[in-house]
Amino acid sequence: MLQRLVRWSRIKSPWILHLNTGACNACDIEILAALMPRFDLERFGVLLKATPRHADVIICTGPATRQTKDRVIRIYEQTPDPKFVVAVGACACSGCVYRGAYNIMGGIDQVIPVNAYIPGCPVRPDAVIDGVAKLLSTL
Amino acid sequence: MTDNEIINKAKETLGNIAIEITNPAPRRIFLKVDKKDLVEAVQRLKQGLDYNFLSTISGLDKGEVFEVLYHFTNEFAVLTVRTTTSRNDPKIPTITGVIPGAILYERELQDMFGLVIENIPDPRPLVLPDDWPANVYPLRKDWKYERPVEKIPGGE
Amino acid sequence: MAEFKVPIGPQHPALKEPISLRMTFEGEVIKDADMRLGYNHRGLEKLAEQKTFIQNLYLTERICGICSHSHTTCYAQGVEKLMGIEPPKRGLYIRTLVAELERVHSHLLWLGVAGHEAGFDTFFMYTWRDREVVMDILEIISGNRVHYAMNALGGVRRDIDDLQKKKILDSLDLLTKRTAYYANIGTNEPTFVARLAGVGVLPKQTAIDLCAVGPTMRASDIPRDVRKDDPYAAYAELPFEVCTANTCDVLGRTIVRIKELFECYKMIEFILKNLPAGDIRVKAPRRVKEAEVVSRYEAPRGENIHYIKSNGTDKPERLKVRAPTLANYPATLVMLKNGYIADIPLIFAAIDPCVCCAERLVAMTDYHTGETNIVRMSELRQKSIEHYKRVNPAKKEIVWPF
Repeated sequence: MLQRLVRWSRIKSPWILHLNTGACNACDIEILAALMPRFDLERFGVLLKATPRHADVIICTGPATRQTKDRVIRIYEQTPDPKFVVAVGACACSGCVYRGAYNIMGGIDQVIPVNAYIPGCPVRPDAVIDGVAKLLSTL
Repeated sequence: MTDNEIINKAKETLGNIAIEITNPAPRRIFLKVDKKDLVEAVQRLKQGLDYNFLSTISGLDKGEVFEVLYHFTNEFAVLTVRTTTSRNDPKIPTITGVIPGAILYERELQDMFGLVIENIPDPRPLVLPDDWPANVYPLRKDWKYERPVEKIPGGE
Repeated sequence: MAEFKVPIGPQHPALKEPISLRMTFEGEVIKDADMRLGYNHRGLEKLAEQKTFIQNLYLTERICGICSHSHTTCYAQGVEKLMGIEPPKRGLYIRTLVAELERVHSHLLWLGVAGHEAGFDTFFMYTWRDREVVMDILEIISGNRVHYAMNALGGVRRDIDDLQKKKILDSLDLLTKRTAYYANIGTNEPTFVARLAGVGVLPKQTAIDLCAVGPTMRASDIPRDVRKDDPYAAYAELPFEVCTANTCDVLGRTIVRIKELFECYKMIEFILKNLPAGDIRVKAPRRVKEAEVVSRYEAPRGENIHYIKSNGTDKPERLKVRAPTLANYPATLVMLKNGYIADIPLIFAAIDPCVCCAERLVAMTDYHTGETNIVRMSELRQKSIEHYKRVNPAKKEIVWPF
């Protein structure tokens, strides 16, 4: 019974953590725009949280640079289970235009396991809402 | 002031330190000096011609020599001072005594090309990650990067 | 008095980008500050040497998401000079139009972020709602809300027709009214003004010595602007003024940006009413002869400078990019010294950091005992909002110097 309640609250109101590992900022601004009055993710109960210890979903933007690799792994381990990782933008999916640069290891999936990929350069806020909704419907 | 007036004034202020001066496009002047006269030239340009704003410092790898370009700007033209140093002994004096804002650009040159800037007040690396191997300088032409094979999650 | 050091970053929710600041405190006053860059370093300059000139156009666009048009235009201008081609007038006017629209959206974004850092979240929501108007215009003109690849080597890629012009002029009326409302809030909202005054002071001579750029420098009464000193695109024919303020603090920077917004609206109207007829691009050769060029551009954050050298093939020999935020870093360190902990988020937001452009975290350490605790930027922001609720009475008389 308690399990069902907890599961229902996780699906209906996921708390997200926004992690930027070396992106150009376009995806980050579009994620913030998704929380603004026009697209308004907050009506779905999505709250932008400051700390990994409160978050259910980690939203990653940007290709994985060498310098941020250890920090990403540390933040991933600090987030309590069950957790989901969403890779937003072409950079987090596979590296976008930066593939082949010496400081880039590829997309985020080279560092932590990813549950959902949202393509786009940059993503439209509607695509972010769509992706998060699809992720939650698989739970 | 037009470009020609600036060139004449520069010749007067620098005297025989200036090795050559060119003007390939409107509002762009390129000036070559020897590296031992670099600090003196920058000082005279700051006082005599009012070039006290440094936009950036670029490095160039030309094979046997490294060329360093200092881009100074003011409201009339962009004056670029170029100097060279040999590959076997890549040392350049610092200009932070004259232009304190040059510190970050010089640190980046040290990281990327392996140039040694003498008397720099703060020699820490600027942009490369902490676990970067020593003596590897990314922007030199003889350094090639081999991309390691990516692991695809879920198998091929 | 015990001194303790604080590192800030790289992952914190206030700043959207990873950067690490290290500060030494004595009580509430910051004694020393230092930065660790490199989290955003993507090795772009080396990558650019392996791609052709046309591919590099799309690579330079993704240096930054907020000022992407500034990097492509600076690059395209430089390469056009190397090739010796001159884009037609209509193409230059459309480039300038997109540049000014980008400046509008960037300044509205900054106003929202400044409001958010000062605790004024309603202002944040209002300015970003107006920003959506500008994003719609950009989407109609170019097809994408961000990274509108309008530039092509030799001109622009798409043209504007009369229906689009009418829509832009209508939206401009709406934006002018709303910006006047924000300027009004500034006059009638003494707590907001008091929060910004006296914070992050940068004296005029220090700004010149440390080579600061953009509104940060213009708020210290230095009237330099690349659009006036070194006119590129259509700016030689556009009438506009350089906006300065003389208070040298965060309030001055806000004033400079609001004044620039009004200038942008006037410029956009002028461009649309005087758009010349003709072609929008010329053909560009594939290989470029050996030459070098320095290209400058006034991005919303300051002066953007590119140095490009070609060597006779279709790939560049060297591309050097210096984005404006990097030039403002030494000035930020000076501004943080002798400030309060409560002011850190605002001072840092006031230079309008676009860390992804420049490069590419706050940890507090006790100086004597050496133990570290990580303080989150959001906690710092909460603390600063609480601190300023007990406002210093002397600051209540400050008037908006518009």
